[in-house]
Amino acid sequence: MTALVADQSVIPPGRPVLRTSNIAQTWAMSKRAILAMWRQPSLVIPSMVFPLFFIALGTSAFSRAIDVPGFPEVDSYLDFALAGAVVQGVLFGSVTGATALATDVENGFFDRLLASPSTRSGIIVGRLAGGMAYGAFQTTFFMVVLLPFGLEIKGGPVGALALIASGTLLALAVGAVMSTMAIKTGSSEAVQGAFPLLFIALFFSSAFFPRETMTGFYATMADYNPISYLVEGMRDLVIDGLTLWALLRAILLPALMAVGGVALALRSLTKRLAAS
Amino acid sequence: MSVEAPLPLAPIRDLDLGRPSVGAASVGLAKRNIRGIRRLPSAFLPSLVMPVFQAIAFSGSFFAITQIPGFPTDRSINWFMPLAILLGSGFAGVGIGLAAIRDIETGFYDRLRLAPAPRSSLIVGPLIGALGRSFVVTTLVMTVGVVFGARWNHGVLSIVPLYVAGLGIAAAGTGWGLGLAYRFRDMRAAALMQLTLFIGLFLSEAQTPLYVMEGWLHTVARINPFTNVLRLARQGWVGDVSWENTWGGVVALVVISALTMWFARRGLDKLDD
Repeated sequence: MTALVADQSVIPPGRPVLRTSNIAQTWAMSKRAILAMWRQPSLVIPSMVFPLFFIALGTSAFSRAIDVPGFPEVDSYLDFALAGAVVQGVLFGSVTGATALATDVENGFFDRLLASPSTRSGIIVGRLAGGMAYGAFQTTFFMVVLLPFGLEIKGGPVGALALIASGTLLALAVGAVMSTMAIKTGSSEAVQGAFPLLFIALFFSSAFFPRETMTGFYATMADYNPISYLVEGMRDLVIDGLTLWALLRAILLPALMAVGGVALALRSLTKRLAAS
Repeated sequence: MSVEAPLPLAPIRDLDLGRPSVGAASVGLAKRNIRGIRRLPSAFLPSLVMPVFQAIAFSGSFFAITQIPGFPTDRSINWFMPLAILLGSGFAGVGIGLAAIRDIETGFYDRLRLAPAPRSSLIVGPLIGALGRSFVVTTLVMTVGVVFGARWNHGVLSIVPLYVAGLGIAAAGTGWGLGLAYRFRDMRAAALMQLTLFIGLFLSEAQTPLYVMEGWLHTVARINPFTNVLRLARQGWVGDVSWENTWGGVVALVVISALTMWFARRGLDKLDD
């Protein structure tokens, strides 16, 4: 049997030399994830448009609700609802990335990547990095679009940056959890089937109205839902300004979720490798 | 080797090669449509589960709106349950369009069109199926709503307008779904069917009454016929059952359904082109 070894000294001049560092491979995977979103806008547009549609509806429909007892002091429902819109957009956008990963598993591309002499973790990390870039873009997009309509971020530019960081980390956390499901099931249908769960988690939180205005079973659900605390941290950056407590909830909570999520995703990858 | 005696043949039924009536063909297609629920539950379940979830989640999340001065009810579920029923019924109707797309893609629709059944039965049959689905959705969501605290003000009289509105919007959804299915002939139409219904309903008195709204939404909701349909559905749960709350919704449903049915019929005729 003859082993074929690529000799880079014989690569003709002008032909790009294969870069094999882990970072280069991970970067290539990230670029592929971002390009896939760019090339299929119909997959990502709903996660950009729907949060804006709901915030536009809410700002008109609930403008008088900001005076009811339990509602924090805000200038408009728009300021109040921004955090909910960001979380909604990022949650739905993350499903798209994980579905693409599941499609890779389904059509065999994932196995080809595993068979290639590339970094294993880069396959997942690259995909998640693409999702993070999209999360950051979504958060920025929502803020930029809503600024002309009267959005005021009390936290100023630093608060806005903290919001982007929070959206990015949330995209990583949710993307990692959904990627775990994609690797485990290898089914894009199963990943999309989890969409209603995210929808339920969002609606049984304080994403759209404060917990203080809820009663009974709903209030209890919102109290136990971590999304409530994440949204409230982001919201405080918008309506109250820059505080340590707001930063902790907006940054630390999704960061902790991301650590857990990425660990789960890498573990499921290791298990898949061991099984194959 | 022994030769077994042939089994006695079952009596052969006389083949009726005559042209079936619209009613008979429609009932046959409606039955096929209802059977489709059992064969492909994943296509119908979302239109059952989503309105149930929506009624519960909206009434919990947006409970505070009942505290706005002058809000017509102190039970948020009374406000959101009819909206959820209309959405569910509308999606049950639109689901008929999705089923038609599947039939067009698999070629089954061509066989239906070649059958000697009257052409209108291809619309009337699925319409009957959609009305059946709407009945199921309305009954389920209302039952869950009552469990979660919805209370009517006028007994059975509160239920009738809710069913009428549900059936009407299912008819409109069917016409819209079939019309788009016949024009696009593939799943590209699916998103358009669902989005237009969703946006049409939400740009009305869906979340709050007109007097609570401000700005552009107030203007849009005031002229949106779905506002009248929602008023029809909500009466008896929010406020009194009255002719004033009824006629606008009934007229809106009749006009929208007639237009969408005409749209579907035109699309069906164009399938031959």
